[in-house]
Amino acid sequence: MVALRDSAKKENTAGAGRPDLGVVTGHSSGDGNVPHGALLIELAEAVARWHWDDVARLRGECEAKLGADETSDAILVAAGFNGITRVADAIGIRLDQRTEDASNDFRAEIGIDAFAPEKKWSASAGAVAEDAAS
Amino acid sequence: MNVPDYATAPLPVSPETAAAHQKTLRSLAKPGAWWSGADRLAIVREARAAATGERTASESGSSLPPVVITAIHGIRNDSGRLTRRWFDDIIDMGMPREAYVELAAVVASSVVVDTYAQGVGLPLPALPEAVAGSPSFEKSDDVVEAGAWLPIARQGRANILRSLSLVPAASHLFFGAFNRSYYMRPDAEFRIDHRQVELIASRVSAVNECFY
Repeated sequence: MVALRDSAKKENTAGAGRPDLGVVTGHSSGDGNVPHGALLIELAEAVARWHWDDVARLRGECEAKLGADETSDAILVAAGFNGITRVADAIGIRLDQRTEDASNDFRAEIGIDAFAPEKKWSASAGAVAEDAAS
Repeated sequence: MNVPDYATAPLPVSPETAAAHQKTLRSLAKPGAWWSGADRLAIVREARAAATGERTASESGSSLPPVVITAIHGIRNDSGRLTRRWFDDIIDMGMPREAYVELAAVVASSVVVDTYAQGVGLPLPALPEAVAGSPSFEKSDDVVEAGAWLPIARQGRANILRSLSLVPAASHLFFGAFNRSYYMRPDAEFRIDHRQVELIASRVSAVNECFY
């Protein structure tokens, strides 16, 4: 999220505006100040959920609007993050201090903190774990 | 060796990505640090079976112990809801921590390769034959307790890059699969712009309820 917020600085996008982080968590809609943002969000979600019929449809839409190479790269990024999120959650890593400091201003606001309840690291709280294992 | 032919995909696949993912598939079939090649392929097959939601552990015909099946299904299907207690239960049931790290890397690597292949319109990649041999039982002592469920590398740019370092071969396996999917190298380039890359990464993290 920090990388998304700061990504506009790395592009020649003067006047395009900072990406709207709310589109990621569904707190707002639209492109989020990212070219074809709404379509890419839909594609990313379909890939992450392995909804292949939706992916096939969205692949065609993306190919028509962005291009074939661009669509392939979008799916490559989504596939990678579908794996790396599992690593982060399986090892139970904490947020880096630097990232935490950089994201404090928006994490709670757009709902990311809800993904990291303290019981994730508690040795005694297990309701979520038992749900997960069932 | 039977690995996917990315040239037949409905979308173009770069030679570098094809090579990286084919290498991951070949690596999965080789003995690792804590699992044999046959075990690692069995883990991938179980992860794929978990994805269908149609087969239970006993029905899948897996040779893996129940605790391993439980770990695979949790990581593959419900990673956002895993907790410390769930992890402790897995370890208490007899899985060495190092074996767990490698299992997580195997599952996550297969998720990257399988998701991309199916995403560009290919079938699930066929798995190579297992390579005979014993695990190396290598692990790193250059790790530190840093608030994670397991020790992570003493040093590193970000916790995620340090996360699998208890078993260096596991870290190498996963990041070999992941390497093409993000700005992991100074020369990394995508044909979508930086904002689009980060938007997709963030949305996938949100879908998976990953805070990181």
